[in-house]
Amino acid sequence: MTRMQQPAITGTRSRVLGMAGMAGVAVAVLWAMAPATLGAQVRMTVPPQSEPVALQGATIHTVTSGVIENGTILLENGLITAIGADVDIPAGTRVIDATGKHIYPGLIDAYSTVGIAEIGAVGVSNDVNELGDFNPNVRADVAVNAESRHIGTTRSAGVLTTLTTPGGGLVSGMSSALALEGWSWEEMSIQSAAALNVNWPNPNPRRFRGFGGFRFGQQGADRPSYEEQVQQLKDFFAEARAYRDAVAAGEEVRSDSRYAAMIPVIDGVVPVVVAADGAAQINDAITWAQEEDLRIVIRGGQDAIHVADRLVAEDIPVILTSTMAAPGRQYEGYDGAYTMPARLHEAGVRFAISGGSGSLYSNRLPFEAGVAVAFGLSEEEALKAVTINPAEFLGLDDRVGSLEPGKQATFLITTGTPLDMTTDIEQAYIQGRELDMNDIQKHFFEKYMEKVRQYMRRVIM
Amino acid sequence: MRATLCTIGFAAVMVTGAGAQQASRTQPVQGMRDNGTGYHALVGARVVTGPGQVLDDATIVIRDGLVQAVGRGMEAPAGARVWDLDGLTVYPGFIDAHADLEMDAVPEGGDIGPTHWNPQVRAWFSTTRNLADDEDRRAALRSQGFGTALAVPKEGIFRGTASVVNLGDEGVRERVLRPDVAQAIGFQRSLELGGSYPNSAMGTIALMKQTLMDADWYMRAWDAYESSGRAFLPPETSEALAALGDAVQGAQPVIFETGGEEEYLRANRLASEFGLQAWYRGNGHEYRIIDVLRGRNEPLIVPLDFPDAPDVDDPEAALNASLADLRDWYLAPTGPAQLADAGVRFAITTDGMSSLNDFLPNLRVAVARGLSPEDALAALTTTPAEWLGVDRTHGMIEEGKVANLVVTEGDLFTEEATVRDVWVRGRVYGVTRPAQIDPRGTWRIASTDEWGFEAILTLEGTVNRLRGHIDLAVEPGAAEGVRIPLASASVVTETGRIEARFDGEELGYEGTALLSGSVRGDEFYGWTSLPNGADPSFRGTRTEGFEGPARGTVAMDVPEIDLPFIRPMMDYGRSSIPEQPAAVVVRNATVWTQGPQGMLEGADLLIRAGRVEAVGMDLDAPGGAVEIDATDKHVTPGLIDPHIHSGVSAVNESGFAIVPEVRMGDVVTHNNIWMYRQVAGGLTTAHIKHGSANPIGGENVFVKMRWGSLPEDLKLENAPRTVKFALGENPKRRQGRYPDTRMGTQEIIRDHFMAARDYEREWQRWEETGEGLPPRRDLRMEAILDILDQELLISSHGYRADEFLALVRLAEEFGFRVQTLQHGVEAYKIAPELAASGVAAVVWSDWGAFKMEAYDATIYNARILIEAGVVTSLHSDNSEIASRMNWEAGKLLRTGLTPEQALSTVTNGSARAMAIEDRVGSLEPGKDGDFVIWSGNPLSQFTRAEQTWIDGRRYFSLEEDAAMRDRIAQERTQLIQAILSAEGNGGRNVDTERN
Repeated sequence: MTRMQQPAITGTRSRVLGMAGMAGVAVAVLWAMAPATLGAQVRMTVPPQSEPVALQGATIHTVTSGVIENGTILLENGLITAIGADVDIPAGTRVIDATGKHIYPGLIDAYSTVGIAEIGAVGVSNDVNELGDFNPNVRADVAVNAESRHIGTTRSAGVLTTLTTPGGGLVSGMSSALALEGWSWEEMSIQSAAALNVNWPNPNPRRFRGFGGFRFGQQGADRPSYEEQVQQLKDFFAEARAYRDAVAAGEEVRSDSRYAAMIPVIDGVVPVVVAADGAAQINDAITWAQEEDLRIVIRGGQDAIHVADRLVAEDIPVILTSTMAAPGRQYEGYDGAYTMPARLHEAGVRFAISGGSGSLYSNRLPFEAGVAVAFGLSEEEALKAVTINPAEFLGLDDRVGSLEPGKQATFLITTGTPLDMTTDIEQAYIQGRELDMNDIQKHFFEKYMEKVRQYMRRVIM
Repeated sequence: MRATLCTIGFAAVMVTGAGAQQASRTQPVQGMRDNGTGYHALVGARVVTGPGQVLDDATIVIRDGLVQAVGRGMEAPAGARVWDLDGLTVYPGFIDAHADLEMDAVPEGGDIGPTHWNPQVRAWFSTTRNLADDEDRRAALRSQGFGTALAVPKEGIFRGTASVVNLGDEGVRERVLRPDVAQAIGFQRSLELGGSYPNSAMGTIALMKQTLMDADWYMRAWDAYESSGRAFLPPETSEALAALGDAVQGAQPVIFETGGEEEYLRANRLASEFGLQAWYRGNGHEYRIIDVLRGRNEPLIVPLDFPDAPDVDDPEAALNASLADLRDWYLAPTGPAQLADAGVRFAITTDGMSSLNDFLPNLRVAVARGLSPEDALAALTTTPAEWLGVDRTHGMIEEGKVANLVVTEGDLFTEEATVRDVWVRGRVYGVTRPAQIDPRGTWRIASTDEWGFEAILTLEGTVNRLRGHIDLAVEPGAAEGVRIPLASASVVTETGRIEARFDGEELGYEGTALLSGSVRGDEFYGWTSLPNGADPSFRGTRTEGFEGPARGTVAMDVPEIDLPFIRPMMDYGRSSIPEQPAAVVVRNATVWTQGPQGMLEGADLLIRAGRVEAVGMDLDAPGGAVEIDATDKHVTPGLIDPHIHSGVSAVNESGFAIVPEVRMGDVVTHNNIWMYRQVAGGLTTAHIKHGSANPIGGENVFVKMRWGSLPEDLKLENAPRTVKFALGENPKRRQGRYPDTRMGTQEIIRDHFMAARDYEREWQRWEETGEGLPPRRDLRMEAILDILDQELLISSHGYRADEFLALVRLAEEFGFRVQTLQHGVEAYKIAPELAASGVAAVVWSDWGAFKMEAYDATIYNARILIEAGVVTSLHSDNSEIASRMNWEAGKLLRTGLTPEQALSTVTNGSARAMAIEDRVGSLEPGKDGDFVIWSGNPLSQFTRAEQTWIDGRRYFSLEEDAAMRDRIAQERTQLIQAILSAEGNGGRNVDTERN
């Protein structure tokens, strides 16, 4: 670990305290605890990697190429250049001893609003839902606040990449894949138009709750019927196709940024993430996507198990948004959502797990995956569901999602699996940058532990 | 051939009967009198004189509104108008013991005069004084057989008085039989009456209690005033409180209209608390508490509004049908039969039906599903007559009783019978006109023109729903002929015309052929119009009459499905609460005692008679103890959540800013699937809180997760009383209601603290001197006094440090202590102050940023509080998160707390925070046998609860859960199949067999 990180880690993490009720004991420990935490700083952005770095002695969980015991990982210019049990270390490399630690790829949240939503009930602090039903041209990354408090806490939980996603309407806009380090959105964005988001209409509007800030745009009594909304979607795609063809044919058409934004989608370059939870929704969305010849990913998928055969046959992946959730129906098992990943895996469905328990809370992503382990999924598959799987579904797997030479050096140093809270995430790297692990929550911890210390001194003196 | 009826209803009075007698009538007759003789003899009918009593071919003599005689073999007396009722059945006129006659429309601008401060309290409203019922409504009730009703007011919470009336069309002065016999109360407020309070289920009950107490006070206050010789100013005047005087003394019945079985239980508790003479309008869910009702004698009046079948039209729709809804669809129609089988007397009402026309069909459904016709008739006649105090004159067909009769064609309870006439006080009201013709039978038809054909036309079914076919038999009687079914057929009986359609294909034409004709006796003259434009005419002669039964019988048309009693009556309901073994020993586990013994590996836990006996190594267990091998497992105390909102029928009473008189304990619900999910996650005790709409909210309630118990049995016995306070954004965001700021929030709390002390002084003064008006008991003030005396512990919602600190100081100013701060997103900022004041903190793990005041959330909150010596607990404030509190605690490991410290935030720390540590929170001898067996470290994300025990009873286990899922799947499949097989799929679960 670097010097820079020492105060943050040792200051906030002290598992030596006994039951704290006894003030005497607590005070003694508190006295010992340092004024080193005075002047604690907020999260700093660090410079790009400037020298080769090798981490040695760790158990490296590559995800795609197995586990390397006592391995070495070499980073240069932000990329992994070598990984293995026996790696040649070039001269001039800074070598870090990571003996006894574990190294995992940074986790990826495939459904997040980190950066574009700050305080749930404060509307002006959120930039998620644009007005109107068809907004394929809006892109999340340009609205990302690099100073958002949630960035720090999300990284502290081991989530280093988010698919920050707009909501609202039928076509919400483009998700952007973000690396959670950088001075500005421009520096953070690793794929500006990573996926187009479609909210599949709900045939039974009272059945499924929306999540957090992801409200559907068309609501209320005058909301069109399910069938009408599906037709609106079809019409929009048909218009977009006509626009593309006219442009390709060299016709002079009036420019339309919405249809222009659709061209890579209907060309199959940008995937379409379709939010659909009910069995009828998922089925109808698949039929539509096949008619439109789109690359789709289902997001939500509460009823995915009822459509599993078709999802497997058509090779359509699913981003689950609610694994740590109650079942949608009374008769379903209390663990219906917890066991969903294991059941989908058994059925052969490809899936990712996202931090959908609340858009503000990408920091809970590891636990959304961890719960699946408690309920039948192997730890290995759960890890894939928050690393390589979402990377593959979104076309990011050439850069993130596993630890392989050539990929970005975006990873975690931990005391064990990042999916369980009994372990600690000690350090994270994004594109070779060794992050400042401070966040707003640690900041408050340090500040107000100082208050406790000051008051205790008064009591004692 | 039997005459049949057409069902086109008509309500014309066919004959004027004798009204009130001349000598007892106040209104002078203007013009010529119009009396008729009032003397009738109904002859030849089957007369059901009362439940189970039938006279065949009997005669009923009616004179001046009364039954003069009834019996077999009687001649019609000379001078009586003779009514030939051969083939018809006569029943006593029905009595609706809870009829909505739609007479109490709220006046424009609201009620006037000194009534009551709360517009929902209309106890002064008299159905007699306001008798202006709706004529169409009366006719509609008569059409279902009713001649008498208890007219019940329906507006407000205290609704006014109900009166027994007859349903004839005489003037209002002739209709009242018993004025204002009972006070009516409902649990739903009427929005059109206005007023902001109450707007919740518990607020409604609080208003009921306060109003009943006020009514008692009102009498005493006026007595004190009068007996003082009017020596001081009188109390306020309230027509509503005055009207409730008899009811609170138990001298007048109070009818509670209940919207579900839990409202019944609530009404029942209130009635016993206040010594009321209670009647209940049921709700159709009696079958869910049939065990409770068994042996009860208070009048119970049940509706017959059976639920529609859940939508199972396609597989995706069927996925959404809950077992609760499916079972309700299947079982609700068995409700009346279940009541009868349980020996519970009940009456049946039309109230609550979406359509009155469903009444008789639903009554037959109830009979088809097991209610005996005798019990059904009693529930419509003798039982309500007795309760309403009119059994000397009503309820049976007997000499001297009022001539209220129902004349039917067919058996009203078992057949698709038709009500022909209803007699009310000797006046007859026609309901359906007898059919003029019946075209059913077999007709030989032949063309009389150049088209020349012969065929056999068969018409069958009911007259209302004719069906039939044409046999093109070249030779009459030939076995193999061409048969053309009629696509449709109908008859207009007044004109004797029939009309039918059939497919022209068999005749060699593409298209639809029309047939019409006139029937007269056994002759038929008809025309056809063929698809080719030809229109042959023909004649027909009836060769055979229709032989089938005259009408359909009503029989059960759903398969017998064994649906054992479960509680709650929904998914995962259980047939009984789990047994409590004399002793249970859990062996060889890692036991987190959360007490002085700390964490023990390879230890045993011994539970005896529902309580912890010991934790230790190799414990001796008594013989017969249930032994559980927990090798590699962890055992912890049952988890505690000090802040949830599931498990109650309502959360916020926001009608006033200060509402400590409302009690969540009044509205606990056991029909709560969350409870099962929570117990499956290891939760055993919870504190269900009032919402946060008020600076001083309602009283909270502690429950144990005894899934399968009735609401009262869920409550934690002898628990401390706590009250919700709320600070910050929520209580100030209600438009137009003080407060609008955090400053005002503190002030309104302070003002009420002072008001309560004033109230206390007024009482003391009166108790010392006995002078002046007796003070009134004020539940709100009494609750605030309890707060000041620390008998009602404050459990305050809030986020920011400033608002909490202000409340803590305010309490100190009044000499008491705040028990807990809840949510406490910024509690860490005042941790030393909280520690010094002895205030416990109930906080979240890592929830925050969902609103402005939650922005400074930090997962280190609990850690800082614990370091500062504050008793600290986690909470969920969320039904779902309450089902995984171990993982919430686990998150705290990453803040540097020890595992036992982390677990304490959902066990012993929570119990201490909530002042229930004498019962729960740790595995120490003498504490409740509440524990969880986990698959591993309970703080790990990879661990799950395997068994949850409460009071030494196993309320959850993976094995039992799996068995329940199998049973649910089987029941759902059977019930969905039953819906699909039930013809019509419209919610009726019997169908008529039409011949």
